[in-house]
Amino acid sequence: MSDTPLIQLVDVTKTYHLESGDFTALNHVSLDIMENDFVAIMGPSGSGKSTMMNQLGILDVPTTGELYIDGKNVAKMTNIERTHLRRDTIGYIFQKFYLIPLLSAYENVEYPLILKNKTRDTTGRAAAMLEAVGIDREKSEHRPNQLSGGQQQRVAIARALVNDPKILLCDEPTGNLDKKTGFAIMDILCNLHKEGKTVILVTHDPKVAEYAQRTIRLDDGRIAEET
Amino acid sequence: MIGDIFFELSVRSVKLNFTRSLLASIGIVIGVVAISTMGMLGTNMSLQVEDQLSASANTIVITADAIRMGPPGMSGSSSSSSSSGISKTQLNKIRTAVGENGTVIPLYSTSTQFTSGNIQGRGTIYGMNPSDVNEFLTIGNGTNIAGINEALVGLTLATSMGIDVGDRIKISSASEGPPTNNTASASRATITVVGIIDPRGTTSDSVSTDNGIVVSKEWYTAQYGGKDQYTQVNVLANEVDQIDEIEEQIESAVNTDKKKQSLRISDASSQLDTISSTLETLTLFCLAIGGISLVVAAVSIFNVMMMSVNERVQEIGILLSIGTETGEVRRMFLYEAFILGILGAGLGGLMSVVIGYSVVDAMIGTTEFFFMPASILYVPIGMIVGLVVCVISGLYPAWRASNMDPIDALRND
Repeated sequence: MSDTPLIQLVDVTKTYHLESGDFTALNHVSLDIMENDFVAIMGPSGSGKSTMMNQLGILDVPTTGELYIDGKNVAKMTNIERTHLRRDTIGYIFQKFYLIPLLSAYENVEYPLILKNKTRDTTGRAAAMLEAVGIDREKSEHRPNQLSGGQQQRVAIARALVNDPKILLCDEPTGNLDKKTGFAIMDILCNLHKEGKTVILVTHDPKVAEYAQRTIRLDDGRIAEET
Repeated sequence: MIGDIFFELSVRSVKLNFTRSLLASIGIVIGVVAISTMGMLGTNMSLQVEDQLSASANTIVITADAIRMGPPGMSGSSSSSSSSGISKTQLNKIRTAVGENGTVIPLYSTSTQFTSGNIQGRGTIYGMNPSDVNEFLTIGNGTNIAGINEALVGLTLATSMGIDVGDRIKISSASEGPPTNNTASASRATITVVGIIDPRGTTSDSVSTDNGIVVSKEWYTAQYGGKDQYTQVNVLANEVDQIDEIEEQIESAVNTDKKKQSLRISDASSQLDTISSTLETLTLFCLAIGGISLVVAAVSIFNVMMMSVNERVQEIGILLSIGTETGEVRRMFLYEAFILGILGAGLGGLMSVVIGYSVVDAMIGTTEFFFMPASILYVPIGMIVGLVVCVISGLYPAWRASNMDPIDALRND
């Protein structure tokens, strides 16, 4: 494990140009996240959680300031380099699961492997990932709409993990699940953290945030509190 | 392409909205059928005309320029009877020029009215030497002309007027032909049909006997006058290769004085060129009409592709956010347009063969040339054009999908 942060935000500001005027969603935020950290980002709606999530997920670039992921300056990368960084370094877990509706559970997990290797998976890795999150062979043939919310989120976790990313970015991973299923999903994330993954959790649920080692509270686009 | 996850996604998307996709493809089907059918129709027409004309490819047709070109005096040239036809002197020059290389057939012809029983008819009457008849006409039923009052009738005319061998036809002397100088001729002469001429179709030798009557030149000049003022002279060359050479010899023999009225010398190839270029224009025009239907089809494909993109905004957002390259998203939608194209072009190709065959059969009356490469080629051409139109219609929707902002796209419900 190196001393350089895996993710580094340096004085990051993100401003949106709206018809009603400019809106600053992130206001001079600096933050270091080390490898194997388990960080929860909390805050009321409109506090900049989603913007922060988009920055960390390289779905967006800062208006000013710098963002380094795995030592690379995101703003200086080309579009395709950012796409490849997303594909290889970050695993996304969304509140609404966001599985590809036209693909089976298995194909959804296989998909990132195909993106990376440009060929169908013959190593059995996708199947192994599904098994690891508790989706059996029969269920893996189902399309997302034939699965329960908990099952879908398990498939989504398998998909996020299949390319062995360093970072797991989770946006309200339990938000659409019942309590029991939510705890089960959080257990999986905890185990992944123990296995060495860097887990970043965006949530407004204090119970979920308790799983994290660090909690960062955002308010009005600034870091209000860090514990 | 098979095994490509993006192709697989496109196939599933098309399957998911199969009815809609099929309906959009029907536009392409119609376009492909229109283009191939129109193309094949034009080509079959050309092929048929060429085939018929090439039957008389060894024929050189010589006509007097001034003949039937307008009322006497209009062109400023002499309107006397000596100028409206090929004279005996000219004929002899032609005979000398041709020599042993071909057969010279002088012909008289004019348009006339006639009656058989109670039925009135109108057609061309040809006067020629009975010994020349067998050089280029085939008598299917009956015999050749032997006596002065005997005649041959074309099959089309015979069928339409119910004329048979042995029947009698009354010929009116009212003619648009060379001015008669034999005022003593009977106003309604009667001839006996001794033979029926086999159909010749479209010919390049200006002799259309299908709807005409052939009489001996003696009977013709007795009826219409104009002796030794031939309407045209046909030269049947022994070898097709010699046509140009013989034409040059005739040209130098008869058209010596540029100031004097000259004779027009033509053959099948020059007529073929004219007819072919006319048919080509016609075919092109028909193809353009077919093309319009493809433009309409392109709009419907574009519409369906835009629907597909707009319905799948969130899916596009997912694909982009988890690391799909923009080119890969573009490829996925182009595949979809390609599948619609294959669907449309495939169905269109099949239907083109069936519909094209029926249309060609109905319009031309023969499908003899339908499967010739020049004709059947329009099926793959139509299919490729349909496919290309489809893919082009998918370009913008695919570009739009791949250029979406993943964050906005994900938020779209």
